[in-house]
This record gives sequence, structure tokens and C-alpha cells, in this order.
Amino acid sequence: MATATTPFPKVDIRPVSSLDSDASRLYTHIHPLLLLSTYLLQFKEIVADPESALASMLIPLVVLQLLYNVVCLPPVGSPTAKPSTTKSIGKKKPGGPVGAPISKRITTSLLASIVTILIGTPILTTLLILFGAPLTTHFRHTVLCAAHISLLAGLPLTYVHGIEMESWRRISALMLPIDEVFGAAVGTILGAWLGAIPIPLDWDREWQKWPVTIVTGAYIGWAVGKIAGRYLLHGKIIDLSG
Amino acid sequence: MPKDGSVKSTKSSNTEYASISKQWADAKAVKQLEATQSEDSVELSRRAAASLKQAEILFTVKQGLLMTWFAILVLLHVLGLYLFTSGFLLTRMVLDDTSNCTAPPVALESKLSLGNSQTGCWHPKSFDKAVVIIIDALRYDFTVPYQAPEYNLNEPPRHYHDALTVLYETAVQSPENAVLLPFIADPPTTTLQRIKGLTTGTLPTFIEAGSNFAGEAIEEDNLIAQLRTANRSVVHIGDDTWHALFPGYFNAELTKPYDSLNVWDLHTVDTGVITHLLPLMQPANASRWDFLIGHLLGVDHAGHRYGPDHAAMADKLRQMDRFLRDVIAQVDERTLLVVMGDHGMDSKGDHGGESDDEVQAALWMYSKKPFFGRRKGTDMRPPMTAKERAVGQIDLVPTLSLLLGLPIPFNNLGAPIFEAFAGRLGTNWENLSRVYRLAGAQIARYMGEYAAVRKLESTNRKQYDMATTLWGSRTDKRGSSDPWEIIHTAYWLYQKETLKLCKSLWAQFDVTSMVSGITVLALTLGVLLVYSRSIPGNLADLSPLLVRRAGIGLVLGVAAGFGVNAMLQSSSWLGMMALSTAIGGLLGSVWGLIPSAPSMSLPIPRSIFSWISVIFTLALSIGFASNSYTIWEDRILLFFLTTLSILFCAASLRQENVVDRAYGCYHSILFGVLTRLASFSRLCREEQMPYCESTYYSSSSSSTIAAWQLLIPVAIAFALPGIIKQYHQNTQSYHHSAVLWYGFAFRSALWLSAVFWLLNTADDHAWLSTYISESTMKTTKVMLAQTALGIAIAVGYSIYAWSAPFLSITTSTPTANSPPIAGLANVHGTRYLPLLTIYLAPILLLQKPLGAGTTALLAWQILALLELLSTLNLASPIGPTTLALLASFHYFTTGHTATLSSLQWDAAFIPLHTIRQPFSAILIALNTLGPHILCALAVPLIPLWRAAPREKGLMGKVAGAVGVHVAVYATWALATCLWAMWLRRHLMLFRVFCPRFLLAGVTLVGVDVVVVLAALGGLRWWGLSVGGVLGFPD
Repeated sequence: MATATTPFPKVDIRPVSSLDSDASRLYTHIHPLLLLSTYLLQFKEIVADPESALASMLIPLVVLQLLYNVVCLPPVGSPTAKPSTTKSIGKKKPGGPVGAPISKRITTSLLASIVTILIGTPILTTLLILFGAPLTTHFRHTVLCAAHISLLAGLPLTYVHGIEMESWRRISALMLPIDEVFGAAVGTILGAWLGAIPIPLDWDREWQKWPVTIVTGAYIGWAVGKIAGRYLLHGKIIDLSG
Repeated sequence: MPKDGSVKSTKSSNTEYASISKQWADAKAVKQLEATQSEDSVELSRRAAASLKQAEILFTVKQGLLMTWFAILVLLHVLGLYLFTSGFLLTRMVLDDTSNCTAPPVALESKLSLGNSQTGCWHPKSFDKAVVIIIDALRYDFTVPYQAPEYNLNEPPRHYHDALTVLYETAVQSPENAVLLPFIADPPTTTLQRIKGLTTGTLPTFIEAGSNFAGEAIEEDNLIAQLRTANRSVVHIGDDTWHALFPGYFNAELTKPYDSLNVWDLHTVDTGVITHLLPLMQPANASRWDFLIGHLLGVDHAGHRYGPDHAAMADKLRQMDRFLRDVIAQVDERTLLVVMGDHGMDSKGDHGGESDDEVQAALWMYSKKPFFGRRKGTDMRPPMTAKERAVGQIDLVPTLSLLLGLPIPFNNLGAPIFEAFAGRLGTNWENLSRVYRLAGAQIARYMGEYAAVRKLESTNRKQYDMATTLWGSRTDKRGSSDPWEIIHTAYWLYQKETLKLCKSLWAQFDVTSMVSGITVLALTLGVLLVYSRSIPGNLADLSPLLVRRAGIGLVLGVAAGFGVNAMLQSSSWLGMMALSTAIGGLLGSVWGLIPSAPSMSLPIPRSIFSWISVIFTLALSIGFASNSYTIWEDRILLFFLTTLSILFCAASLRQENVVDRAYGCYHSILFGVLTRLASFSRLCREEQMPYCESTYYSSSSSSTIAAWQLLIPVAIAFALPGIIKQYHQNTQSYHHSAVLWYGFAFRSALWLSAVFWLLNTADDHAWLSTYISESTMKTTKVMLAQTALGIAIAVGYSIYAWSAPFLSITTSTPTANSPPIAGLANVHGTRYLPLLTIYLAPILLLQKPLGAGTTALLAWQILALLELLSTLNLASPIGPTTLALLASFHYFTTGHTATLSSLQWDAAFIPLHTIRQPFSAILIALNTLGPHILCALAVPLIPLWRAAPREKGLMGKVAGAVGVHVAVYATWALATCLWAMWLRRHLMLFRVFCPRFLLAGVTLVGVDVVVVLAALGGLRWWGLSVGGVLGFPD
């Protein structure tokens, strides 16, 4: 990809590394387990009554994602360690930044969650409707689904990359090198996309109802993408050329 | 992805413009010189003209050969589809002949007065009246006492055992009054097909040649029609399927139809039948009817809902038992009582297929007077399993006909049921011989007629002639056994053999033929993919060799077909011919591709967009194997197209140039939003309910449009030409003929169709009926429509054929940024585009207003897509694939579904008073395949749009794009064929899979034809026009 001659403000396009602390290394693994098991525990209620269950599930989702941001990720603008010049697929990762003080991490994280909910949710709701979500009915279901997707995918992204236009252009253009944050985001979207597959089937199952499969797909895709982004695909760039 | 080096966007190098403008100036100078100069230079310019002429000829030849090559591919597709269809949709000719009371098939030798339905038409009648009670899905083992299977004597009975006991009980207690027999259905075991079989006595095939797709009414001679002819009053109570099949045949006063589709409702129909049927059995009402049909659905619905082994089924069967006991108590001596199942059910309670459980129904006949006999030496009790002494369901037709003194329906293939004619002792061989002779003679008459109509050799006469001889010499022979018994056996054998013959003719799929069709389609697809995706260099240069070698192959194939047919004398002459021609053509094509083999690469995707093209095409293909995904195809296409617009947007965001980036994003978002907007226009198929709301017509039970929709054609006429103009102005291409066409002619056609729809709706609602007579109205409408079509086709093609390229020399002095010739940046695309709009105008007229709206959106989407593909420089198969997805999507938004019933026949009457072939067929095709036609016409635009003025190999790129586009449809056709064959015993075959296969086949051939005749054919005028200025494309 030709990136050298961009007239836009320089943005950091290196893959994000998680913080170089024991807590970070530990919690980044515990986090998907915690989040997925929370979802699993709620699954019955979500199937039974998606509207209220998804709404109440938002709270643990935000809390866990905030915790993950604060413990594991460098907030936007924090100085990063020397970039790895080699393709960092190997296990030896450069030590992540530890610099940002905890107070900054918390405020950035809270701001990011507000931005995600206020901007990310409407955008994703629109997208879901474009993809064929009902417009005249189930609107609250759709908004809740969008909220879950945007908190899963967008909250850490906003925390790490801020609200710089150019960063978000690169994110939307899928131009960032894959890391655990971007991998999780792409995984969430892909998972939600794949989650649409069982909807038309005539199995008459309760869990086929809108938007259970999409949200479930998003959660699974998020976890898979996060792990794959951290290890398997770390540093890779998606090629979209024709 | 092999990307070509040329830059297709607005950023084309200015040096090229400079050179072209210089050349143009030079040419002008030469012309001026020509006028003034001496003979020398005249000679020179003559030579230049000659070489130009040569280039022109070269181009037309190239274009003609490309058309021919694709025409060969069309032929291969048609042959493949023909082979498959001939094995899949076995057709039975429906004969309209009816049996007549006064015209028995053989001379009668009894003393009965002929043609008197009071005493009996062909045979003395035994009953005056009949009550036929159909317990839907009454399986034989529901009616006989439970017997533990031999392998497990301790197995307990199921819920469905020993609940309905009256049939067996009566048949054992008084065998002369009641007889219970297994009653074998001919698959498909669906109620509709069963009722056909039970009334016509013939075998069901799915598509009956001569029958009308739109209506379901039985056209063949049948029992109900014979009853009506004999002026008997027929009353029906229950399942309303009968009313679709026999509209207006029933006594309107007493008949009570009930909705049959709600399988969750176990009781409404049954309660209705029970409460209305029993009173009619009272002596007071006995004179009001002659033939009483009661069709109960509770057992069937209990099976569908719960399966047979459920307490609800036991309850249902007990209820039936009580009901039947009441009926028996009421029936009088003149009345025959028949109780039967029309089919069985499988272990899950479903039916439709041909498993034993599904075909084994029960038949019970009852008479108050002693009447029935049993064959000597057999058990007087009913058989304990359906394997013994079974009768066919079609056997009921001649049995009932003769017992009631009616003629046997003309198409009947069944035999009279032994027990009903054998006398109480079971030895009345004379009577049996007489009825079997009548049935046999009618079968022979039918077979003779059928053979004559289908031009077949008369079949199976030998056995019939033998039986007739025996009959003729019956008095002379007195041997050890009863001569009547021998005669009966001879006719019985004849009936059995003929039935077997007909079953083999009609009721089976010809797997060999299907497989050969699928093979031809698959190999053609392979050739197409290799041709369009594997070969580097200019594809148009391959056509001479391909056409020659494939042509030789076809000729040899035809010759081989004649040879094989002469040697084998095979029965399917046409099939063999088609197969060998196809093989010849395929081998020839492969032979033509061999010289390119060294430089070939495997046709596998190499970029994300190529992968997506393949994945989306295959995902739909795989989905066609599932009824759910086939039913919801419209939503899946919406999903795929939105995904594409998101990916286009992501790719656009990657553009370094800010203008390109914004332009790409705008068109990606536009593409997505227009897709979603169009998706609000829906016509739901029955299976989508209740999760779908139709918006296409004003209400679910009408096919008129809502009044607000009249605004749509007006909006189109107002806005669409402007939108098209905008896409010209981006490249300064809106000049002379373009203005004349889009700004005037095309726009007038749109206004005319807006007025047409206004008048049409006024007509529908009788708004103007006080001012304008109906005939004036119709004439005005037809005139308007014809004028619109005339403008579009005649004016459009004239402009398209004779126009110069849409170029103009700018008056301002040329600078580096604005080339002196305006419109050069998209000279190819704009010069071809009128072709698409020539077809767009008629299609807009022929759709209902809402469909016209989505078609206009489609046109806009095509333009947006072209801009996208050229700014993104996407040369992958994504363009042609997206167009195929878009076409399929808009098939649904224009009020169609993958069912036969969604064909909009009324489109044929928009510009015509009556049906006039071939115009009516073309109009229906334009209505049905409108989106496919537009998208196929747009495919050449993908390489042409914003192509550099002298881009090399344009013809080759067009060939590649067209090849991919056709390959997508060919993949879907192949997949639907494959699934239709694989699932040929599936319950949903004729509801879901067969219609989808028909749609895929029709679209493939339709797109093929449009590609060859309209798109590739239309390239001729584009090339000649552009070539005169810029040099002929290659």
C-alpha cells in the first residue's frame, strides 16, 4: 500500500501493542473469557426477551470493556515504544507503553465509551437497516444490537485511536495493520455478518429471532478476532485491491 | 489480479488528449487540402480512406465473430437445459376427450338400454347415490387391529393403533356389507395431486402439457364432470382444494368449503364436515343430493403438527370412528358409502413422497344391502398389512363410475375393484369380465388417442387383441375352468401392463437425461470460465479459431447424432441429437482453447473482490439447495449488495486522491441506500408469511396499484433524464445526440408512460367513466403505450446507430487542465449508454409504477456502479457479478417471485388490445426479465466506462466481462438443476425447487440472448461511430 505521500496529518499506523505490565498480560486473556461467559449466562434471557436482556447486558459489557481498556491498552496519544521494524508475527513483541497515568486512562476510556455510544450506535443502526433490518418494527432491538456491536468493536478502537478523522478513515478503509484491537473490531463485524446466516432457516427455534444471532455472532467474532489479531494475524494488512 | 496499465479515471494523461486533438485538426486540414489540392494528394487521401475502410471491416468482422462465439455458448446452454428438462419435467399430454354415456368404447352385448344414466350408461348401475368420505392421510395401519411385529412381540401399540376400529369391525362382522382394503396412492402424495388421481383415474405428472399454469382446474374428463353431465347433484363439504380443481361443479347451496392450509388447526374442518354432513344423510334431505363428498383434514393436520404417535392423533381417530358409526347408521340401501385416505403419512406425520407409509392409505366400501364378495380361496377378513390384496387409488374411478351407472372417464387407467363386482359369492366371473372389458376397452381407446396425438406407435395392443379374441370366442370354448374367468384375467393383464407402461412413461424422472444435461451445463461453464478468466491477452483475437473449431465440433456432433440414432433406433431421437451436438460443440470449444493453453492460468480468485464474486455466486447456489434460502432469496441479495457497497466504500476510503475518495464514497453509499430503498418494494410469496409484508399492490387480495404510486412514473419522467445527464456532465459528454435522446425523446417516452399509468388507474377506479367511454379509454391507453414504445425503439435505435460520438470542441483555448475536446474522458461509455436506455424506456412502461420506480433506481445504481468501478479501477470479476446480483435483486423488487404465479400476464395488454404473438411474449419477457436485460446490457459498459480514448484490447475486455456475467447465471442454473435432481423426491420440489430451476433456466437463456443480440450486437454501432474518430477498437 502506498502510504508515503499522504497529505493528511500523520497518524500512527503501527499495530497497537497492549500495555507492558503483568496485569495487562493476564487480563487480556481473562477478558474474553469473562465477557463471553457473561453473555452465555445471559443467553437464555436474551432469547426469551431480547429487548430488556440486551439492554441490561450493556452494563456489564461497558464495565468489562472499560476495565480492559484501562488495564491492557494504551490510550490515544500515549508514547509508544520503538516500533518493530520486522514483521512482528513472532512471539517476541516489543514492550508496550506503560507511560500513560491511570487517571488519563480512565478519563480517556470514559470519553471513548460516550463517543462510542453516541456516534457509533446510530451509524451501526443505519448499517443494520441497510443490510435489511426491519425499519418499521423491532427498532429498539436493532438499536440495542448496534449498541452491542459498537461497544464491542468501537470502544477499544476509540480509546486507542482517538477521534482523529484520518485514523477513522484508515479504520473504515480497513487499512490498519491487524492487532488485537483492530482484529477484534473486524472480527465483531464479520461475526455479526455471519450471524445473519441462520435467520432465514425454517427451524422454528426461539434463538433465530432478531437480533439474537447477530449479537451472538458479534460476540464470538469479537473473541476470535481479538485472539487472532494478537497472535495469528498480528501486523498483517488487509488487501482490498481489485 | 492482473491489472491493466491504463488509467481509467479522469486523470488520463493530457498528452494523449493533445495527440488526439492534433490528429483531429490534421484530419480537418487534410479535408480542406483535399478540396483544393491536386490529384496527387487526392490519391494519398484515397489510400488513407482505404486503410480506414479496412480497419472498419476488420472491426465488424471481429465483432461479428465475438457474437457468433457467444451464440455457440448460448446453443450449448440451451442444449444442456433441454436435456435436463426433458428428463425432469416429464410431460403427459392432457387429452380433452370425454367419455359419453351413449358411446361406450365397445359394442355392448347386454339388453340394457343404451345411454340411459338412470339405469346405467355402459353397465347396469348398482347404487343411485354415493357418500364419499375422505379422511386425509388415513394410513392403512390406522384401520386394522394392532399386531406386534414378529421381531419384537412385546412392542406396545402406538397411539394410532386400535383407535379407529369401525372399518375393520364391520368388514369382519358382515363381509358382504363392508370391505376394507389397502389403497395405494401414486406419488406425489400431496392432497391436490391425489384428488386429481382419485377423480380422473390417471397418473399425476407435474407439468401437464396443455394445462394452464395459471389455473389449477382439472381439464381432463373426470368423475365429478361425469356426475354433472348426468345431472346429478354433487355436494362437497370440507377441504377447499376441491373448489380450486372443480370450480362451479358443486351444488352451491349445500356445499361448505373450508380453508385447508392451516395445519395447526385440527378441528375446524372436521367439525364443519360433521355438522353439515350428518343432517344431509337424513331421509328428509336425501333427495337434495346424489353424490356427497366429505373431506376431513384433522388426521392429516394432527400428523403434521404432532406426528402420528401422539395422543391428539388417537383422539382424532376416535372422533372419526364415532362420526363414521353415525354415518353408517344413517345410510340407506340405495347409497354406497366409501371411506378412504387419500394418502398416508411418514413417521413424522408428513407426506408428499413415495415411501410405503406415505402411499399406503385405506379404502372401505359399505352398502346396507349385501353386495361385496371376496375372491374364492382368500381370507374373508381384511388383510392385516398393506402388502396384501392392495388396490390402486385410480381403481376407484372405474369402480364408482360403473357402480353409479356412469361412463368411465376418458383418461382412466384403473381397473374395477374385484370385490365390488364379484357378487356375494365372489364367483360372478361374467359380471367381472364385462366390467373389465369395458375398462380395458376405454383404456385401449385412450391409448390409441394418446398415441395418435403424440405420434407414438400404438403400444401394447397385443394383450388387448388377445383378450378381445377370447371375448369373441367365449361361447365356443367350454373347458375345465370358467371361460369368463379367463376373459377377466386377460383384460386384467392388459390393464396391468398398460398401467406399468404409462408409469414408466410419465411418472419417473429420466436420470440419464438429467445427468447428461447437467454435464453439458457444467462443461460449458468450465469452458466459459477458462475463456473469460484464464487467458491473458486480447480475448477478441481468439474468436476466429474458437468459432471455426466449435463450429466444426457442432457439425460433427450433429452428424454423429444422426449416425447414433440410425444405429440405435433409440426412442429419444431428439435427446440423443441434443447430446451429441452438445458434446461436439464442447469438444470443438476445448480444441479452440488449446492453442492458448501454454499461457493459461487457473481461473482461481486472486484478490478479495474476486473471492467475493466467487463466494457470493456460490453462496446463492448452495442456498438453492435449501427451501428457506430459496424462499428468502430477495433478502439474501439485499444483504450481499449492501456488503458490496460497504466494501466499495472501504476501498474508496483508501484512495489517496481526495476527490476520488469523496466521489467513490458518495457512489458507494448511494449504491447501498438505493438498494435498501428498492427493497421496500416487495411481493411476498406464501412461504414468507407472516414475516413479510407485500407492498407491490394496493392490498394483498388485489392486483391494482395504490393511487399514491401514480406519482412514481411522474417522478421518473421528471428526474431520471436529469440523473443520466449528470453522469454525462461529469465528463463533459452531454452533446448533440445525447441531448436529443435523453433530453427529448427518452424523456417524452417517460412522460407518455406516466400518462398511461394515470389513465390506467383512472380506468381501474372508473374515475373518468362519465366523460370517456370504456373503448375510447382503452384505445387511448394503447395508443399512448405504443407511441412510447415507438419512440424508445425506433427513435432510440436510429439515434444510437447514426450518432457521432458525444464529443465537442471547446471554444476556449486549450489549457493543460481542460483538453480541447470535451467528452473524451468517457467517449466509449457515453456512446454505448443509449443502447441501455433504449430498453430502459419500454421496461419502465411495462412495469407497474412501483416496479418502474425500482427499475429507475436500478438504472441509477448501474451508473453509480460504473463510476465506482472506474474510480476504484476494479478489473476483477466483481463488476459483472455485482450486475448479476443486482438484476436478481430487482427481479424481486419488480413484483416477481420465484413462483409461476407471479408472472404478470397483464403486461402483455399494455400496448395491445389482444394477444398477438410474438409481441405478447416479448412484452411478458420485458416485464419479467427487465432487470436482467438492463444489467446484461450494462456489462460491456464496465470496461468501456471512462476507458482511455485509445485503450487497447477493449473488445477483449468486453468479451471477458460478458463471459463472467453469463458464467454467474450459468452457475445458478447449474446449481438449481443439480438440486432439482438431487431433491426430486423432496416435499417442496414443485413448490420451491422446480420453480427456482425454471427461473434460473429462463434467466440464463434470456440473458444469453440479450448478451448476444442486444449487447454484443449493439457494440457494432458503438465501434463504427467511435472508430471513425479514434481508430477502431480491437
